[in-house]
Parts: sequence; structure tokens; C-alpha cells
Amino acid sequence: MLIERVAGFSDNGHPLLMKGSVAAVTDEKENNSFSAEADSADDIAAKNKADAIKRRELAYTYRSNLAPGNATDEDPGEPLSRAEKRRRKAERSAEPKVKLNKKTLWRQKELIIITIPFILYGFLFYYIPLGGWVMAFQKYKPQNGLFGSEWVGLSVFERILNDKSFQLVFRNTLAMGIINLVLSFAFAIGFALLLNEVRLRRPKKFVQTVSYLPHFLSWIIVVGIIRDMLSMDHGIVNEILVNLGIFDGPVNFFSKPSWFWWIVGFSNVWKETGWNSIIYLAAITAINPEMYEAASLDGAGRFGKMWHVTLPGIRPTIFILLLINLGNVLNVGFEVQYLLTNGIVKSVSETIDIWVLYWGIGQGDFSIGTAAGIFKSVIAIILIFLANGAAKAAGEERLF
Amino acid sequence: MKKKLTRLIAVLLAVTLLSGLAAGCENLGKAKVKKFDMFIAMPGTELNEGNRAQAEITKITGVEVKETWLTGQSAEEAIGVMVAAKDYPDFIEASDGYQIMVDAGALIPIDKYWDKYPNIKNYLSEEQWNMCRKADGHIYAIPQFGIVNEKDVSPIHNDEAWWIQTRVLKWAGYPQVETLDEYFQLIEDYAAANPKHTDGTNVIPYTILCDDWRYFCLENPPLFLQGSPNDGSVIVDPDTQKVIDYNTTPIAKQYFMKLNEEFKKGMIDPEFFSQSYDEYITKISTGRVLGFVDQFWNWGYTAQDAIKAAGLNDCTYVPLGIVAEAGIEERYHNEPVLDVSGGLSITTSCKDIDGAMKFISDLLTQEVLTLRFWGIKDVDYKVGDDGLFYRTEEMRANAIDANYKADNLCPYAYFPQYEGMNLDGKNAWRPDNQPSEFFEDLLPEVKECLEAYGAETYVEMLNPSVPNSPWFPMWSFSNDLTPETPGGLAWAKMSEIKHEWLPRVVMAEDFEAEWSAYLDKYYGEADIDAFLAEMQAEVDRRIAVAAGN
Repeated sequence: MLIERVAGFSDNGHPLLMKGSVAAVTDEKENNSFSAEADSADDIAAKNKADAIKRRELAYTYRSNLAPGNATDEDPGEPLSRAEKRRRKAERSAEPKVKLNKKTLWRQKELIIITIPFILYGFLFYYIPLGGWVMAFQKYKPQNGLFGSEWVGLSVFERILNDKSFQLVFRNTLAMGIINLVLSFAFAIGFALLLNEVRLRRPKKFVQTVSYLPHFLSWIIVVGIIRDMLSMDHGIVNEILVNLGIFDGPVNFFSKPSWFWWIVGFSNVWKETGWNSIIYLAAITAINPEMYEAASLDGAGRFGKMWHVTLPGIRPTIFILLLINLGNVLNVGFEVQYLLTNGIVKSVSETIDIWVLYWGIGQGDFSIGTAAGIFKSVIAIILIFLANGAAKAAGEERLF
Repeated sequence: MKKKLTRLIAVLLAVTLLSGLAAGCENLGKAKVKKFDMFIAMPGTELNEGNRAQAEITKITGVEVKETWLTGQSAEEAIGVMVAAKDYPDFIEASDGYQIMVDAGALIPIDKYWDKYPNIKNYLSEEQWNMCRKADGHIYAIPQFGIVNEKDVSPIHNDEAWWIQTRVLKWAGYPQVETLDEYFQLIEDYAAANPKHTDGTNVIPYTILCDDWRYFCLENPPLFLQGSPNDGSVIVDPDTQKVIDYNTTPIAKQYFMKLNEEFKKGMIDPEFFSQSYDEYITKISTGRVLGFVDQFWNWGYTAQDAIKAAGLNDCTYVPLGIVAEAGIEERYHNEPVLDVSGGLSITTSCKDIDGAMKFISDLLTQEVLTLRFWGIKDVDYKVGDDGLFYRTEEMRANAIDANYKADNLCPYAYFPQYEGMNLDGKNAWRPDNQPSEFFEDLLPEVKECLEAYGAETYVEMLNPSVPNSPWFPMWSFSNDLTPETPGGLAWAKMSEIKHEWLPRVVMAEDFEAEWSAYLDKYYGEADIDAFLAEMQAEVDRRIAVAAGN
């Protein structure tokens, strides 16, 4: 279960993210054993309370990708004092300096050997394919190959940056990326907060399960559903709006270029909200229940507790996810725009990926496709560094 | 424990050996069957395993070809992926991706291998083969369509027309419908009098397909309305032999203005511009649509059959040759043309080029041609005492049943073939071209309609074809344009702009404003002159070739 969730962070194949997910995978061993034990936490806690405390520490350390298991509710254990927490945090961030020499290498030989397959894997599958990037600097022809094609320097980049259609798709990609980012954050956090307030366990679990099921549908199906919902011919959205008297007659949603980005944004919300909220729900379960008790004593109501306890409690999670997703802002996907588009909205629906497909694969101009891909990666890296720097300056959680 | 493991391994080994033996025996039995694979960059249906006609063809030729078809992507994307991976099937019909494959050096020159195969070499005339040669003088594809033996006997108009349901014509008492205004007036009147279809839904008076490359249904009628044959990308003035851009002619404006007017009246399907090809076919198959413009091959073999199968006998369509103004001679029907813009190719991945050439050659013998297009004797057709082929009622029903076709018929449709008459000179190449078969199969509703217009076949609903001009058809040139040349780039741009703006023009509140905005965009962003110059050069080249220079 955990493996899937961790993978959920990074199903978009971005090299930087891959790095993140490898780190997450290594964390997993400990976490996994923890969550397995946590399921039967009651018995174990009874047997060995010291163990339970250790688990709680682990839970704190890895709270950002903790399983939702109700360990904290059922087994409050002994809370750590604020000072203790601060001490531990300082310990974590101040890693002891280790000199790189033969002796340390020899001492860590087992660890190094264990890492070799992963380094090889990363090298083979992430770095060697990057060799294809030279195509962006050539007038590449498949029959001449990488070594026989003519070198043209940066002229391909010049061409795409001056190309009106590329500027257009860049604008579309960025706009849809930002809309998706904002909507998915707002909806996932809001949904997690509200769902967390449901006190009955069964309906809560039921809603949670149902809400994340659309994540497993492929886009082609989701697009079919969206088209049906927005159809003029008895589509549910038109029926409701017309019957409520908001529209005079059925409206063709796909004939309005200014609506297209929002249709894509809300399609994403429909599909991913439940899935995205899992991580926040998990983070919420790691919040010390005593904080809520204290807040109640201070007279905080439901909303007060949400605002003053829950939200600050999941703030580190929010920031980390925000950083990761900022690097992904240009990966707005391909399927949904490709499948929903039509002639009229084409100027707002085309994304960089569709553009690359059209020119790179469709028209056989591999150089231009590669150059556009490189451009996208560079923007993503710049965004991540900028955001990470900003987070550092603000003293928030950060990636590196 | 250890003993158990050893035993398990022993058993596993024994099973492996036995199955290996069995496989070996199987190979012995079929050792002579060569297997090739083929990709066709067009949508199509795969044959089922153990297809009967395919097995018969394999018996004669010793070859079995596994065909796969385009699904989901465009032809260029599918071919682009193959080129990127340098992994090709043995045979390929690359359609729009043909030039990409030629450029990538992925195809073998047919003319280097054809000396041993007169069936292939004599399939086209010397001049026709010359039209197929690429810049390096080699031929990389064998055209499959438009090669007519003796004479064209098709009773079906396979090309573009304004289609209309027979019930509409019958309701109006079979009037003469010639102009754009008359056509829409008729549809309007019918829809006003009969707003409901038999299934209770509203009829859709008129729809237009705009999905991807199939948007010709929206954009190219101005060419026909002017009385030009289907040159596809331009009009060539028959007198001056100069190319004309049909997108901005007064007739084009008149046509789009009419569509705009009809759209405002609610006569045009409001979702026309966002429907996918599949949705469009489904829509027509229900019989709700009264009329539309399309190429018959684009909808007829699916939707028309579906309407018939549903028993909606008065909802099938007949073609009309609509023009802009009375007095213009329409030219919707033309003689079959040789499509030299692509065809069947053998790729560099093919290990046995001679085997592949021999198979193509064998497919062109009458024995195999009959198997491909008529089926198996006494199962799919019978031979009368006079040597004429005919089918029973059951055989005819089988032939339009999709499941039966996948199990029993194997036309290998994208391999070379002769149209028109069989090489025996007696029978037509395909049942639907055999006059006796066609008339047996004709619905009484359609027959009544055709007779009302003094026609016997669908083709006779239109003006008879006249000999093709030497440059005809120009689409066989523009189909292969790539953005490498300024004209090709302009062609891609034009198509992009038209794709976005023509639906907007049709749906515009203020037609004049939208139309002039479209023209600004059209002339502002696409280098139309560069495109026309390249088309003109090709027209001149073709005229020179035809004149023997």
C-alpha cells in the first residue's frame, strides 16, 4: 500500500522527481515494517510500551508519507515534549561531516555494493537516453543517425523560440499548469479537511474510497464522461443549468476558447481530488490529538481547530508537495487536451507535448521535438530551484 | 526437501522437452508457410484467426500476412514512432506517412527487384510507373487503387457528394435539387414537417464532420460548387491551366454564408465541430441525419450498412450534385484515378524481399483475385451456366455481416488489385460492382428514388464523368507536401487556420466580421502565394510529362 502511495508522488517521470522517489523508496523499509506493526498496535503496545514510543518517533520523522492507519488515535503513546522535538530536528539537519577516503569507503563497502544496482539503473535508464539530446543541436535525419547528421548549433532553439505557435503552446501549457496546480491544491486540502471532520468511521472510509476511484480510470474514459456531462444533447450540466434558469438554452461548452482551460482544470479536480487528499489525510492523522484537546479548552470550535491546528499541522506536507508540483507545472499532461480538443479551441488547447508530437513525430522533425523537450526540462529545473530557494529563505520545509 | 526439488525439476524438464517436440512437429507440418506482417496506416478490421479465404490464399501462395491497422493515432504519428524506433513490419501502407518513410530510407526500391515478376512490372504502364518515381528515380510504393481492367462498371458513387435521405426526396415528390439554396430549402421544409425521427428523437437536418484530416467535409465543397472536379487542394482553371485557391472565392463566401444562415436557423447540428469521427458515424447510423457532404468511402461502408441492417429502409442516402448557381455543370463523379501519392511498400526490415515480391505477384493472378474479392466458390458465390458469378440471399446477407467477414473473407485490400472487370472479362472485380448483383441487392425505396430521377445506379444520379485532365488529381501532390518547403509549410498553416476559423465562421453571430477576420488571419499567417507557386509548378510539370517532354 505504501509503495503505491509513495509512487503517487511521482508518476510523471521527471528526473528530479525520480531522485525524490528513490529517496522515498529507501525510507520505505522502515516505514513498512512500522505500518505492518501498527495494524495490530494494540497488542504490541500492551506488551511493550517502549516500542510504541519508538514507533511514534518514527511516525513523526516520516509523517509526510505516513500510512493513514489510525495508530495515533488508538494508541496515543507518550507525546514528546516540544523541546525534545526541537532537539531531534536539530540533530537530523546537522549531519556529521564524514571525510571521503579509503578507510571510510572500506568501512561502508556493503552499503556501497548494495547501491551499485540502483546507480546502474539510474545511469542506464535516465542518463544514457539523455545522449539523444544531441539531436536538438543537429539537423537530425533518421537515415543518417546521431553520428552522421549535420550540426547546426543553437539554430533549432532559435527557431522554436521565435515560432509563434510555440509561444502559444507555451502560454497554454503554463496557464493550464497553474490552473491545475491551484485547483488541485485547493480542492485536495479542502476535501481532506472536511473529510477529517467526519466523525463516523464507516461513512468516512466509504467516501474516501469512492472519491479516489476516478484516479484509476484512464483519461480516455474520463474524457468520454466529461463530454457526455457537458453535451448539449441532454448533458447533465446543461440540463441542470437550463432547468435552474441560469442558461436560456443548452450551451456548447467546447465552442468557447476562454472556457477550455477551466474545463481541463475541473476535469483534473474530478479525477484526482480524492487521490491527492490521501496524503493530507495521512498527515492529519499524525497531528497530536492533545493539540485539539488544548484548542477545545481554549474555546476553539470546529473551524477554529481546522484553522489553528489542522492546517498548521500539515503545513510542511503542503510545502513539500507544492515544491514537487511546481517542477511539474509544465507537465500538464497530454491526453486530456488531445482528446477534448476541436478546431475552434485548438489555439488554447495545444500543449507543448502535443506540439512535440505533431512536429517531432508527426512531421518527422526530431530535432525540433527534442529541443522543445529540453526547453521544458530547463524551465522545470529553474522553477524548482527558484521555489526551493524561496522556501529556504522563508524558513519552510524544502526539497534540498 | 531436496529430493522433491529434484523431482520437480525433472518433471519441468520433461514437460519442456515434450512441448518442444510437439512444436517441432507442428513446424514440420507447416514448414513451407512464410509469415509476413503488415501495417496499414488506416483504420480497419483485423481478420480472425483461421480465416477461411486467407487459408485458401495461403494454400496457393504459401504465404500468410498478418495485417494490423491504425488505432487512435494519426497515420503520421504511427509512422513517426516506427521511424524513430527503426522497427518496421515487412509490408506497409504508410498513407500520410509515406514521405516520412521515404525520407528515412526505410523502404526498398520496388523497381530493383521486379524483373522476375512480370505481374508486378506490367501492373502499370511505363508512364504510370514514371509518375510513381521519387526524386531519386526509384519506386518505393505500388499503388493499389484506381487500376481499372477494361472498364469501370461501378454502380456506386464512391466519392464526394451532397447526400440526402430518400425519405426526404420522396416526401417532397422527388423534386429537382440542383443548387445550394434548393438543397437547404428542401431539408428545412422536411424538418419542419417531420421534426421527429422514428425512434422519437429529433432529426438532425444537417451535420458536418470536422474531425482532424476529415474536415474536408466542411472545407472543400466550394471547389465542387464551382463545378470543378476533386483536385483536392486547389482548382485548376481548365482553360488557362492556372491554379486558383478555392478557399476565398466568392462561391466559398456564399457557401459559408449559407451555412451560417442555416446554423442560426438551427438546421445544423450544434455539435458539428466537436464531434469525433466515431460519433459522426454513430449519428448517421441512427438515421437521424437528413443530409451531409462526405466522400462515400468515408461513411458508406459502415453507416449505410448499419442503417440497412436496422431496417430503416427509407433512411439510406442518395448522392446529389449540388452547385452554387443554376447553370454550373457539376463534376462530382470522375473516372477512377491512379493514386500515386503512396501505396504498398516493402520495408528494409523485410528479411525475404523475393518472397514478398512473389506474394504480391501471386495476389495479382485471377485465381487469387477471385478468392480475395468474391470469396470461396459455392460458399460465398456460385457460378451460373453462362459463367457469370451470382450469390444467393444467404450469401448476400453473410457478406455484410461483420463477424462473418472477419471469419471467412480476406480481401487483403491494401495489396495491389484490379478494379473494373475481372481478367476473364466476364465478371466484375467485386460483387457490389456486378450489375446483376447490385440490382438484386437494391432496396425498393432506393430503386423508386433512382427511377424517379431516371437513373439506374447511384452513379447516374450525377453527371457522367469526363476524361481526366493530365494534372488530375492535384491532391496526390499536396498529400505528400512536407513543411520542408515554404509551400508545404504554408499548406500546413492554411489547414491549421481553416480548421480553427471555418467552424467559427459558420457559428458567427456577425458573419461579415468573422469572415473578414478569417481572411486577415488566412493571408496574414500563411504564405498562400508560396503554396500556389508550388502547385502551379506541379501542374506545369504534369502537363509537360503528359505531353511527352
